[in-house]
Amino acid sequence: MTGPPSAPRPLRWRTRTFLLLGGGLVAAVAAVLARQPALLFLGLPLLLAPLAAVLAGPPRDPRATLEWRVDGSGPEVDVVGRIELAPPTRPTEVEVRFDRPTALTERAPPRIERDPTSISFSLSWHTDEPVIAPVAPPHVVWADPLGLVEREVALEAPSLAIERYPPELLRLGTVRLERTILLPGETRSHRIGSSGEFFGIRDATPSEPPRRINWPASARAGRLLANEFELDRTGDVLLLLDARPSPLGRAIDERLLSIATAAAYGVADSFLREKARVGLGVFGEFLDVVPLAGGRTQRLRLRRALLATHLTSSPGPPERCAIAVRRQFPPGVTTIVFTTLGDETSDHLLTHLRWRGFPTLVVSPSPLPLQEAARTLSEEEERLVARLARLVRRDRLARVWEHAPVVDWEEYWSLGGLVDLLRRPGRWGRRA
Amino acid sequence: MMTGSARPGPSRESIVPLSVLTLAAVALGAIGSLGFVLGAVVAVGGVAISAALGWDPRWGARRYALLPVLLALGILALTAPPGPAPELLAGAGAVALLAGIAADPDRPPGGLARGAFGWGLPGLAVGLAWAGTYILPPSAAPVGVAGGLVAAAVVGLAVLIRRPDLAEPAPTL
Repeated sequence: MTGPPSAPRPLRWRTRTFLLLGGGLVAAVAAVLARQPALLFLGLPLLLAPLAAVLAGPPRDPRATLEWRVDGSGPEVDVVGRIELAPPTRPTEVEVRFDRPTALTERAPPRIERDPTSISFSLSWHTDEPVIAPVAPPHVVWADPLGLVEREVALEAPSLAIERYPPELLRLGTVRLERTILLPGETRSHRIGSSGEFFGIRDATPSEPPRRINWPASARAGRLLANEFELDRTGDVLLLLDARPSPLGRAIDERLLSIATAAAYGVADSFLREKARVGLGVFGEFLDVVPLAGGRTQRLRLRRALLATHLTSSPGPPERCAIAVRRQFPPGVTTIVFTTLGDETSDHLLTHLRWRGFPTLVVSPSPLPLQEAARTLSEEEERLVARLARLVRRDRLARVWEHAPVVDWEEYWSLGGLVDLLRRPGRWGRRA
Repeated sequence: MMTGSARPGPSRESIVPLSVLTLAAVALGAIGSLGFVLGAVVAVGGVAISAALGWDPRWGARRYALLPVLLALGILALTAPPGPAPELLAGAGAVALLAGIAADPDRPPGGLARGAFGWGLPGLAVGLAWAGTYILPPSAAPVGVAGGLVAAAVVGLAVLIRRPDLAEPAPTL
């Protein structure tokens, strides 16, 4: 939450004020020089208008609270909110401006409705690709009716982020992951279930299976009692984002990294829901790490780290990444690497990771759809270029398959390939 | 970045001030040394260009939409002969311009009434100045000016009584 400000916001003059004042001054000076009283009568109202705007009574310290949420599903993003204004500020005196995240486009103009005490708004955006992006709170400013002077309204707003990732990832968490600690019982889940370590006894429900009934305890109590267990963690997973530039170009690299970031968040969210431990590494020049942990706090940590992810301009050597991963994470943890496979250093990264004991799975967002959208050649040349690009891509994937299984992610709104691969360990059962 | 809801085009309440502005400018041109045709072209052209620039709230050039009409009014006032009518027309044109700003289609409806103080106070000042110059006899002109100053002071006092915080010094940061 953004806290209330300590000092009132200053009044600001708008461009229109300077135009009026400039016009008024020029008219007044010209009136004197040209001995033309009509110019004086023209300039007088222009000079007085800003004064009247200030005297009209701007609120000393306008305040407002915002309640908002993200609606919609898939590529459609709807942001709905309500701004409650503290008296004496009236909604008709207030202007609202919205910043749209760069990855999104506008589906329809914003709808703003004013009632006596509040302003409701609805924003309709669209995203072509999976995305995780923060939404900046709207700029709310009080302005006089002539739009000459304004004062920012102190807005108390909760943070909001758009999280859109392939829906298949929602069922990814049930995958059994490799354990990487010697005594899993020492890091128990807080979730209660039907298997795992014994937790306690409770009254049995009518549909309780006989195996879960604690018969000696039931005999002593004279009523049916059932055992409860602490669910085991399913395991650990490390998400490794390759944030180095590739020969594909910065624009495509940034878009692919944004897509990979959204997918990484989806994977993390899904596993965290199933009480797995999730860690994150973002490799640019050096490795930025969020250590393995579980729970809601870890979800927030991961979200913050992923929102701060950006493409580096000075890439580090792949071996540095593998060494840093080995220092920060236990070997044997299931590692999902998100990389474009844009050059050969990606192969080296996977090799080094395997050498250091990390069973690796690669999710590679394909640059082909983005390259196809950006082409400007003739149709025949484009066909040839597309074919060559596809061949190069297939060759690259084939080389990487020698080190680790790869999910070629070409349809950005579907990651069924990753889910299938993880659910059937036999298909990718390469161990370090 | 988007600003408010997109409602291109002038609103119904902005038609009255725009019409007054156009009529005042055309009349000013007609009685000036430019002649009726050229004066009307300058007047209508200035208003039309300003209206076109301010058509869509999302256009960046919108903030400078006042310039053409200000320029046109300035040219027409400069070429007008001295006399009560051109001065009244110039003042009325400027006040109508302010009223047109208040009726901005980008703002919530009802801006003309809400901004009455913003264009009414300059209008009052123009009216007092014009009346003091031309309606009162020459010997009473200073009385008219003094009366205008008293009226302005009364208005200022009324505002300060309503909003005493306006007289407070700005807090030091």
